[in-house]
Amino acid sequence: MKSLRRFFTRVFNFASRRVHDERLREEIEEHIALRTAENLRAGLSPVEARRQAILKFGSMESIKAEYRAERGLPLIEALLQDVRFGLRLLRKSPGFTFVAVLTLALGIGANTAIFSLIDSVMLRLLPVQQPEQLVQLLKFNPARHRTDDGFTYALWENVRDRQDVFSDTLAWSEKRFDLSQGGAVHNANGIFASGSFFRMLGVTPAAGRLLVPSDDYRGCPPVAVLSYGFWREHFGGAANAVGSMLSLNGHVFDVIGVSASGFHGVEVGSKYDVAIPLCSAGLFDGKTSRLDTRDWWWLSIVGRLKPDVTAEQLQARLKVLSPQVFAAALPPDWGVEGSRDFLQRQLASVPAPTGISEMRAQFGQPLVILLAVAGLVLLIASANLASLMLARAASRSKEISVRKALGASRARLVQQLLTECLMLSFAGALLGILVARWGTALLVRQISTADNTVFLDLSPDIRILVFTACIAVATAVLFGILPALRFSRVPLVAAMKGIEAPETVHRTWFRARSGSWIVASQVALSLVLLMVAGLFLRSLTNLVTLDLGFDRNNVLLMTAILKPSTVPPDKRLAVYQEIEARLRSLPGVVSVGSTQRTPVTQGGWSQPVEVGRAGAPARDEKDVWFQAVSPGYFGTLRTALLAGRDFNWHDDKTSVLVAIVNQSFVNEFFPSADPVGQSFRRIEGPVKPATTIQIVGVVKDSKYSSLHEAPFPQAFFPIAQVPDRVEADAEEIYAARTAPPPSAMIAAAQNAVAGVNKGISLSFHSLAEHVDDSIVQERLLAVLSGFFGVLALFLAMIGLYGTLAYLVSRRQAEFGLRMALGAPRRSILQLVMGEMIVILLAGALAGITMSLVTVRLIRKFLFGLTPHDPVTLSCALALLAAVALIACYLPARRAMRVEPVIALRYE
Amino acid sequence: MKQKADVLQGTLALMVLKTLDVLGPLHGYGIARRIEQISGDLLAVNQGTLYPVLLKLEQEGVIASEWGASENNRRARFYRLTREGRKQLQVETQDWQQTAAIIDRFFAARAEDFS
Repeated sequence: MKSLRRFFTRVFNFASRRVHDERLREEIEEHIALRTAENLRAGLSPVEARRQAILKFGSMESIKAEYRAERGLPLIEALLQDVRFGLRLLRKSPGFTFVAVLTLALGIGANTAIFSLIDSVMLRLLPVQQPEQLVQLLKFNPARHRTDDGFTYALWENVRDRQDVFSDTLAWSEKRFDLSQGGAVHNANGIFASGSFFRMLGVTPAAGRLLVPSDDYRGCPPVAVLSYGFWREHFGGAANAVGSMLSLNGHVFDVIGVSASGFHGVEVGSKYDVAIPLCSAGLFDGKTSRLDTRDWWWLSIVGRLKPDVTAEQLQARLKVLSPQVFAAALPPDWGVEGSRDFLQRQLASVPAPTGISEMRAQFGQPLVILLAVAGLVLLIASANLASLMLARAASRSKEISVRKALGASRARLVQQLLTECLMLSFAGALLGILVARWGTALLVRQISTADNTVFLDLSPDIRILVFTACIAVATAVLFGILPALRFSRVPLVAAMKGIEAPETVHRTWFRARSGSWIVASQVALSLVLLMVAGLFLRSLTNLVTLDLGFDRNNVLLMTAILKPSTVPPDKRLAVYQEIEARLRSLPGVVSVGSTQRTPVTQGGWSQPVEVGRAGAPARDEKDVWFQAVSPGYFGTLRTALLAGRDFNWHDDKTSVLVAIVNQSFVNEFFPSADPVGQSFRRIEGPVKPATTIQIVGVVKDSKYSSLHEAPFPQAFFPIAQVPDRVEADAEEIYAARTAPPPSAMIAAAQNAVAGVNKGISLSFHSLAEHVDDSIVQERLLAVLSGFFGVLALFLAMIGLYGTLAYLVSRRQAEFGLRMALGAPRRSILQLVMGEMIVILLAGALAGITMSLVTVRLIRKFLFGLTPHDPVTLSCALALLAAVALIACYLPARRAMRVEPVIALRYE
Repeated sequence: MKQKADVLQGTLALMVLKTLDVLGPLHGYGIARRIEQISGDLLAVNQGTLYPVLLKLEQEGVIASEWGASENNRRARFYRLTREGRKQLQVETQDWQQTAAIIDRFFAARAEDFS
């Protein structure tokens, strides 16, 4: 109670700046006067009486300080005083302040930028009602020990209707829609959303109304909800957008409303433009609708957990629920074994308050690695600042000794210096937040690809601010503590006389060498960074220079979408051929081929294949991946035909089924025989008979779905011989080898196709871009760590130079003396360089040890090299050595040029 | 410097309260003088340390102060005990006596008393 009252009085005194000093002064005067009078009465002389009175009173200044401390809030008062003093000092040396704040801004900014990404990709809660209740459903396949999040429509219906642990459930699926009516494709990110989607998330409409469960039934009318952003972009935010029509892949939808701003969907990393009910998905599929196909895993399911259900109860209920749900959604044609496998599957769950994101798997760990790398850079920058502060502390020794003589305690001096450091650090952090905003945008552009524009909510939140404040404080302590301790230990008398204390007296080796320690640790950290950067860069180089099995340069990819409404399915082959012919006749086009999937794209078509060997009745089957291509495709991509022939347009439905296989296929199935002319059987499932296919050619191995894959058996079929889903849109990808850069041919190609049919939608990429986009993760790591590596090297160089120059300047007198006593200049150079080399070696050794431990953590992201790659290590060492020697040479030369007379006179 | 001055610091507040209790309102010098008389040379040096203690007690509300005229007719600050101060003095006196009694017993004890 009393201490509270005392505290409030103090706060009041502090705030009102009440002047008590006057009162104390008067009281002291009175006290001394009374004492003097008494001493006089005791018979002392007037002078002596007063002297005794003052002596007895004690140290006036320390009592005043104690009195002031008692009166107000001494900590805050001291802090304000320190801040004022610090500001004055920093203003006095603008160069130092500028360099320090800039270094900190870059270092803290880089860390904040990467943390912002981590925050928005992994940590941020979805901006929906009570996101902490959201749970994503998964299915676990015990036979294959695999968990994934794809569900069929039948499974969704059964989960929705049978579950009793969620207060609500939703299902959705992403699909890209083409808004155009032919010609250049205008893509929009669409989602198929269950009727419960917006209701469960608690999203409100900005205009019109949102989807409700009664919109989602078989045979529902086509209606669409727009996202706020899309409404602004596409309709200019016009009120009459609601009620207007929107063409999605040629199907017309009624716009019924717009969702509130700030809601971008449940997928983190992208934003939705248009949402249509699940029931309208059938429109895009023709006869084999995904609503009825019981092995089309296109949906993701999220539930809102009832408030009183615990995680254990949820697991228990899902376990009970699983057999019923899977039994009710069993695909009819999976055979005995397939059905058993299907019925064994189980529902599982994972909390989803931060939404669902594929980006997390792809970029989660790389971002954490990059944060660590940026942290290292900040450490190196702090080391630089620490040496700068050390040098400043030395030049301020006179000021310090005066303050000490006036009674400042050591703690008080340390506090003052740390306040200065904190001010620098926070100035750096404020500027760093600006750097981070710019940096994050840059990073997001880095990880966006032509196919997938990454969208992230990057608005600053409390987590980012706390993070930035924490690293600002940590950095300040890091670069301030050593100089502060050193600084407060200045020997009083020597410093006041203006003599620098000899380094060796009363000092341990560590203290005398703190500058060298800083340099050695900088060298060690830089080496770790260079090693990491080098490994990532070399991995990227390995990927970029990899033999893909095709030539990616100067190939234009054109995706043509043929809708059944514009090109009747039986005319497709003729249209394909005509488009090819028109493209081929364009000036600048060298050759043309087409395919139904672009190489280096995730997913594909695979089935088991068996080969009937003479006298081998047993089934010897293996999964083979397939691709349908046109005649001329291999020539256009420059995939070498090793044996046999290419396809021609006579390989069609009426002729014998043929295939071209790759080298791995041959190695797997025909290790000794000549494969051309042989045949294999494609197994179509437990019910249908296998298809026999004759091999007419062999091509070199090429990459199928990613650059990282090892070669595996592939087979290519002629486009005319693969089963065609006639009711659905057909997608044909044309590859044209061009003489000019591919992008220069886009307009001509568009015109050529328009001449065939104006209703065909087109989109364009270059093959090189497409391949590059598949290694965006590796590029992000390489580019950023490379950038940080260079930055670290640069910082280390400055740090080395600064520390050395300072050490040399402090030893000028010694060098002068040595020379005066006859030491040759060369020996001075050797002396300085020798010491430096010891420091560098110590740093390098520590760095090598640290790198060898660190690089193991990044093994997963390397390609074509081991983490202990000797080439990378030697390159990093060589680079570091070169930079270090340059940084050392200048100060060493200056030491050598010391004029003995001048140096000695200075002393 | 003698260590006993430090011990004094801790009990100075209590001495101030007791002095004001016995003698009524007094100025700083008067309090210092009184403590000096009673405690011998304990407050012989550093009498100034009294003033921060007075301020602390005043901010706690156990004493109050006002300007008055001293015996040589100069302006002086007079301190007096508040009601709260009187209560606190009672409590602390009891505490002190208890503590002192316990410590006394410990000092009086010999080795055989512990066996």
